[in-house]
Amino acid sequence: MKIYPYKRLNRPITLRVTSVSLKLADGTRDQLDTSAYSTQQQVVALGVAGHEDWVSATIGLSATLPPGADVPDAAWSDVRVVAVLTDGETNVRTATHLTRDAEDSRDWSGSLEVLRDDHLGRASLAVDAVGTVDGVAGRSIAETDRSWTVDTVSDEPVGGLQLEVRKASFTRSSREWLRAYADAPWIVDTSARVPTVFVNTDVEGIVGLLNSSGSGVESKVRDLLVAQMATDVWTAVFHGAMGDLEVEPGGSPVFPTDWQGEVLREMLPDVVPGVHVEEALRQVHRRRTGDAGWAELQTRIHYAAIRRAEASRALGYAIRSLEQANRESEK
Amino acid sequence: MITQPDHVPERLALLPASAADRFLTEQLLKAEQVHGGIDLAKAVEPLPEDDARWAVEPIRSLVEDAMFEFRDDRTRADAWLAPRLHATLRLTRREAADKRLWTHLALAVAPDYVAWRHLSESTAARPERRIPAERFQGPADRQCFSRLWWAAELFRNGADYEPVEVACGNQDLIHTVLRRDLIDHRPTAQALVRLVKNGKITTGREINGLSVAVTAAGATLVYDVLAPDEPRDPAALRHWIAEAETAPPVSRHVLPDGPDEDPVPEESVAALVDHFTELFETAPVRGRKSEV
Repeated sequence: MKIYPYKRLNRPITLRVTSVSLKLADGTRDQLDTSAYSTQQQVVALGVAGHEDWVSATIGLSATLPPGADVPDAAWSDVRVVAVLTDGETNVRTATHLTRDAEDSRDWSGSLEVLRDDHLGRASLAVDAVGTVDGVAGRSIAETDRSWTVDTVSDEPVGGLQLEVRKASFTRSSREWLRAYADAPWIVDTSARVPTVFVNTDVEGIVGLLNSSGSGVESKVRDLLVAQMATDVWTAVFHGAMGDLEVEPGGSPVFPTDWQGEVLREMLPDVVPGVHVEEALRQVHRRRTGDAGWAELQTRIHYAAIRRAEASRALGYAIRSLEQANRESEK
Repeated sequence: MITQPDHVPERLALLPASAADRFLTEQLLKAEQVHGGIDLAKAVEPLPEDDARWAVEPIRSLVEDAMFEFRDDRTRADAWLAPRLHATLRLTRREAADKRLWTHLALAVAPDYVAWRHLSESTAARPERRIPAERFQGPADRQCFSRLWWAAELFRNGADYEPVEVACGNQDLIHTVLRRDLIDHRPTAQALVRLVKNGKITTGREINGLSVAVTAAGATLVYDVLAPDEPRDPAALRHWIAEAETAPPVSRHVLPDGPDEDPVPEESVAALVDHFTELFETAPVRGRKSEV
């Protein structure tokens, strides 16, 4: 918990997205429906309507300050509320002032303009309440505890790790580097912008298996295969993210701002349980770059990956489904 | 020292990390031998044909001029090249965030420049001279060309590149500050440059001490409210990019003009200069004697 040298509100600001519209290249506007954002996931997906040619998006916002913000004897005055959009990939920082809905209200609203040219993938949206405290202007007195994600590409408002799956013939692909892996059924590439699994279509039947649906043994085997791939991906992205860490002059590692940061935040609690993620990151970094402890940590990393991939569940269902099939063939 | 590859492409393209890996050979990183260019050309993803911005020649000629002009002091090339590269290779931030573009520029177009600028000096501890691989392919603030482009983008004041020259003239400033997100706030970037320009902060330790203090104070102070910025006009940038089609080569002697965006509000810069000066006077700086 952070300690502040002045009085502020203890509880967070709640932020809701109330509308999303796109301005298209021909000057027209497309008002997107509510499927473009998820309040539960706190994600806005601007790719929902499939427009390739949008220029900017206008996101309607409504923020509610915690109780106590407006008491007459508050320690702050001159309260203002700003929504701040940040993007670590493109170094964009856009701030918009919200306005109070009514004189005695704790609700503030406004709209944020997102320029397409300014973002490649995901940006993060937070709200700050700012006031003058003890004569110091610009003090933060409350903020959102969890940022919204504005995804400028995705067609579905979901959070978490984004993963791209591409199918290619490893021997005939125009990506020449895949040829070196011709005998592997799949490989994971974490050096791309978004971690990518390349599935080798040269393995006969693999595409059919991956596309299978329904409730038969086949689909259970597919789930098992997907869980195995996902375990590989989580393990690879964790190592990739640890290997790319930036280090402050003092020697402490910095959380990456892109998907690598998301991956680390999600996995570290399983890798180093019981400590704050910042401390967990320092410990793991020390072990990787220091003399000892990196090999011992591999089991924890693998465990964290298996949990994310839900491998136990996939295996459980596959075994039950095989047992059932065996029973039926014995009849 | 290596020269340019036998085959230099005519147009920029995208070179994915997994494809670039096999060209980052030991011989290249020791600046002994460069690839021929033909095999690399097969591994790239092309950019649209009809866009004049992807022509290689203007960039190639810029880096050659830089290597000639600054042959006696290569670090000074940064302040000269950053604004000129930015005005030659006109990109949106969305385009510039694609690392594959920068990898292609460094590996296929100008590996000789990367070697010239970043080959380490031989020291007692590390006698073998070497180019760090991240100068070819790496984080935006480390890669040879993307660090210059982003320094120009983040430190320019609207169309004015003069602050970029100041910022890139101080290796400590671009080395420590470029990776921090505090300069994503334009008034903060301009205030830092002004403190360097008028000699208030100069050494790496001072810059580091100040940026740590600014970040720490930023946990309780919201700079967007203390020193507001104006929203940027996307049309100005689009127009400037479209003009790349007909723009003449950038001047080697006077600074070019950037996109015609509004400069940072002067009151905001002035307010932050005062605020940072105050922070700096009380900030712990390694090696500085405290006045008692």
